[in-house]
Amino acid sequence: MRPLTLALALALLAALPARAAPEPRPGAAAGGAEWLGPPPPASPRRVVSLAPSLTDVVVALGEAARLAGVTRYDDAPEVKGLPRVGGFLDPSPEAVLALRPDLVLWLADGGAFPAVRRIAALGVPVLALPVVDVPDVLACARLVGAALGNAAAGERLARSLEEAIERTSRRAAALPRVRVLMVVGREPLVVAGPGSYPDALLRIAGGANVAEGNRPWPIYPLEKAVAANPDLVLDAAANEPAEGMARLAAIPAVRAGRVARLPNDDALRPGPRLVRALDDLLRALHPEATTP
Amino acid sequence: MKRPTAGRASAALALGLAAVALSVALSCALGSQHISVVAALSGLEPDRSILLGLRLPRALLGAVVGCALAASGTALQALLRNPLAEPFVLGVSGGAALGGTVVLLAAAGLARLSGPAGALLASAPPVVLGAVAGAVGSTALVFALGRIGGRLVPEAALLVGIVFNAFAAGVITILKVLVPPEQAARLLYWLMGALGYETAGTLAAGAALVGVATGALVLLSGQLNLLSLGDEEAASLGVHVGRARGAVFLAASTATGAAVALSGMVGFVGLIVPHLVRRLAGPDHRLLVPASALFGAAFLVLADTAARLAFLTLGSEPPVGALTAFAGGPFFLWLLRRSGRSA
Repeated sequence: MRPLTLALALALLAALPARAAPEPRPGAAAGGAEWLGPPPPASPRRVVSLAPSLTDVVVALGEAARLAGVTRYDDAPEVKGLPRVGGFLDPSPEAVLALRPDLVLWLADGGAFPAVRRIAALGVPVLALPVVDVPDVLACARLVGAALGNAAAGERLARSLEEAIERTSRRAAALPRVRVLMVVGREPLVVAGPGSYPDALLRIAGGANVAEGNRPWPIYPLEKAVAANPDLVLDAAANEPAEGMARLAAIPAVRAGRVARLPNDDALRPGPRLVRALDDLLRALHPEATTP
Repeated sequence: MKRPTAGRASAALALGLAAVALSVALSCALGSQHISVVAALSGLEPDRSILLGLRLPRALLGAVVGCALAASGTALQALLRNPLAEPFVLGVSGGAALGGTVVLLAAAGLARLSGPAGALLASAPPVVLGAVAGAVGSTALVFALGRIGGRLVPEAALLVGIVFNAFAAGVITILKVLVPPEQAARLLYWLMGALGYETAGTLAAGAALVGVATGALVLLSGQLNLLSLGDEEAASLGVHVGRARGAVFLAASTATGAAVALSGMVGFVGLIVPHLVRRLAGPDHRLLVPASALFGAAFLVLADTAARLAFLTLGSEPPVGALTAFAGGPFFLWLLRRSGRSA
């Protein structure tokens, strides 16, 4: 009995953590925006944002005063004192309802769907916005502007974002293409893959993403990263110490010091921070052309 | 076996019912927001929505899931004649999760060909069916492979279950890579073992299924008493062993499958609750099964209330499955040591 009992205990302990493997990145549903719940008021006054990038949109529209609640990840100074209603994947319906909002902005995502569906069912209008790509960011600015009863501001914001894109791609067109690997996590190595938001930004800023496949946020084999031999490795893990990149020294560019660290996570937040993200990317990809 | 005295039986069941009512009331009264029950009942918003739209349905969901897990845990312990048997430990929950995952994966594939057909397959009834099928399959596997020389060896069956659990977790992780990211997020949320916000239809269907399965276990509880003596003894006392065991299998798997479909893998409820109830109600399954079902419901509602309140200052809450595993892991090891001494 004794060896068997020990085996039982060990096997059980081994089986436990296996079921809680974390997903490297949340995904967003593709497709169009959608209204859930009752029809929204023409000009909502108490808005809850369930994603930092949507908070950015409201702030950029000049409508921060209408925000009643944001997520625990929100760090914009304009919303510093606002109540928190949980996270992006785990919003608390109770905290949302207690704020008595007349509009909830939701970055459509499978994980939070049951909670958001319940919020809508209890009588709060929810605007579900799938924001995956650059055109989605422009559409999102217009949709949120319209939902707040300020379509003109939405149009202005979208135009200014379009101009920034135009400006960046014009400057990048005159510069050589840079083959880039964009690292968003070091252990495991997670990169911005084809179809991800930063992949689109890279293209605008004159970069060519060396990551292959059909997943937007692949856990990338280090071997493939080495074989791809990028000209430049972008360190987009702004919240992790820069020294962590030493783990990827097998990639020739890392060994040769051709690593550019992004100063913040703007390039990972599909929203109005796109302007700053494009500037940062252009500078990182073409230091020779952008430093005076 | 002596019939439990009517007094003891009715006292235990009344206590169980009171525990369910009390836990649901407590779960409705407590939460991150301060609400007034009086205001809520007189229709004042947002108190009304928070009480009747969020807390009450979630408490009922917890009661249904806890009832299913505790009742099937009691039944599996009797069948295996081992106090360590439990849907999660035996791999029945893992099989149910795998079954449900396969249906969701098939739905994701089908959605590429036809959106509405995919959505239909990803809706609650097919997922519940997949989970029940997975639970039945893994129970059959555990009890078939747990036989050595034609005799059921409880420790072997437990090992098979634990290995199957690890296997199912691995397969689910692989399947998760194959589905689109938003499906993976949904899958992850479901598997975590969290009580969420199911639609009223899903809750009602799940409750009906759990009700039927638990009812069947209560009806079979007299035969469970005889089965727990051993196959030969049960047969000599006139029990059709194969048929009775098959019926208990099916009912326990159905209850577990429905519970997993509703809330993912919440472990150890079927271990903790029957053991505590045995101290109150004694070993007779005719009382133990219904009493475990009731106290299981109360237990999970209370555990979920604790999960909602424990990390309030951080603005976050762990899935209730993490809490039951936190309590259940050490409890399992304690039981293991104790049964090791008596063996």
